[in-house]
Amino acid sequence: MEVRELDFSYGKIKVLNQISLQIPKGKITTLIGANGCGKSTLFHVMTKNLRAQHGKIFLDGKNINEIPLKQFAKEVSIVHQYNVSPNDLTVKKLIGYGRIAHRGFGKKDKEQDEKFIHWAMEVTGITELKDRQISDLSGGQRQRVWIAMALAQNTKILFLDEPTTYLDIRYQIEILKLVKRLNSELGMTMLVVLHDINQAIQYSDEIIAMKDGKIIAQGSPRDIATEKILKTVYDVDLRVENVNGNIFVLTI
Amino acid sequence: MVIKMKKRKISAFFILTILLLGLFIVSVNLGSIKVTYGELFRGLFIEYNEKVATIYDLRFPRIIIAMVTGAGLAVSGVLFQAVLKNPLADPGIIGISAGSAFVSVLIVAFFPMWYFFTPLFSFLGGILACLLVYSLSWKAGFSPLRIILVGVAINAVFTGLMESFGSMSGQNYSGAAAIVNANISMKTWKDVRLLSGYVTLGLILAIFAATRCNLLALEDKTIRSLGVNVNALRAAISIIAVLLASITTAVAGSISFIGLIVPHIGRLMVGSDHKFLIPFSMLFGAFTMLLADTVGRLIAYPYEISAAIIMSVIGGPFFIVLLKRSDRTYGG
Repeated sequence: MEVRELDFSYGKIKVLNQISLQIPKGKITTLIGANGCGKSTLFHVMTKNLRAQHGKIFLDGKNINEIPLKQFAKEVSIVHQYNVSPNDLTVKKLIGYGRIAHRGFGKKDKEQDEKFIHWAMEVTGITELKDRQISDLSGGQRQRVWIAMALAQNTKILFLDEPTTYLDIRYQIEILKLVKRLNSELGMTMLVVLHDINQAIQYSDEIIAMKDGKIIAQGSPRDIATEKILKTVYDVDLRVENVNGNIFVLTI
Repeated sequence: MVIKMKKRKISAFFILTILLLGLFIVSVNLGSIKVTYGELFRGLFIEYNEKVATIYDLRFPRIIIAMVTGAGLAVSGVLFQAVLKNPLADPGIIGISAGSAFVSVLIVAFFPMWYFFTPLFSFLGGILACLLVYSLSWKAGFSPLRIILVGVAINAVFTGLMESFGSMSGQNYSGAAAIVNANISMKTWKDVRLLSGYVTLGLILAIFAATRCNLLALEDKTIRSLGVNVNALRAAISIIAVLLASITTAVAGSISFIGLIVPHIGRLMVGSDHKFLIPFSMLFGAFTMLLADTVGRLIAYPYEISAAIIMSVIGGPFFIVLLKRSDRTYGG
């Protein structure tokens, strides 16, 4: 996926300013930045929820504005930050929604649908929850269900908007490990918005740092996690330590 | 656990069907003319009987209209609640019925030669009210309480207009008044035919839309990410909901709260899956409206109280209870 010279404003307020970037295939790319830096807006423009006033986004060389929503859903799946569902919906039914883009008038391949639903549940480790109601699940389990729904779409690209935000640390790690595994085992291309700088360093191949609607830097975690770049991104002095070859940012 | 829920759903449908049939049989034989059920059966299917013929011409249309109206309004309520993500939405409360009724009154009062097209105009009135409510309450999403507030205002305006035009209508007053007061006591088979075709169409469309209604319970963004154009979906389902509300209003007048109470109890009985909720609401809506009409016929005999009034008296407190509870869930 490639973004070229993207501008986006809400009314007169410019939120994205000449954004250009590349999402490398088969890698985990993380978007970081302070609150209000435009990363959520960029995420929504890239997922066809908002339309930029200027600039283009290409998916395999095709402008995404010209890709119908249904087709897009077969190529890119998205897990949004905030999700709701009816309390009495079962896990399996919800994951089944992921198959909608593959259905059409009189076109319904039940076997294929079942296959992907089961596969998605297995990968995310929720097979035994399949008949449970969403309201019975813990936060971490719920997040895995939403990821499974996206996986049922059977896409090459997965977008995740702050997948760990509402979770306890244990579940945060569980979800990030799952993301890593989906990438390494299935070769999925991932774009993840993350809040935690250390998690971004640990789990990504590539980091994009944003500030005030602009991209400050893009590169490997090692390139990005420098005291200088972090100072620009977050406006605060953070110490970066190297412990046995692993980089840690001291966020206190 | 899943099997138990299925059993519960099936028994809910079963009991409701029996109740509806029972109510129908009782209601047919309530009023000034009474016959035995043997006479009734013979009169209907075997030989002519004057009393039975009167019942057939007067009471049957009324009963059928009550049931069809109840089914239509209840399903309309279900659809509006899905589209607006708001369990308090009801075609009566948010002004859709009032918009339809206003236009119907205009036609009946001033253009009686277009009587046959009343449903069409009524539908346009409903669409107009719907557009007004949606556009005035949309602000990066539908806030549940804003819709109700805007709806109440729209409802008041259209109801006022309808009543004033109704009073100005002179010789055609009785026809207009029937809509204003939601009086179904003088309905004929002609009205049944007018009503049932459109309502059947709307109900069939609603059943086909059931799985899509389920989707609307997710966040808009999530629905889009599944490849579904959520605004187009919303518009399509709203049109079905307006169709059901406006056609029933054109024939039976504006009736509130059926579309609120029935789906609410329906959710408690069969859950939030629209594949069950829509058919259940049809049956239960038919039952509730027929019950309200029957009670209205009996409670102050020989005077009649319209089903709309019965529904308002019961529905008002019900609405307040729901509003109080939703404060906790939706925060306003």
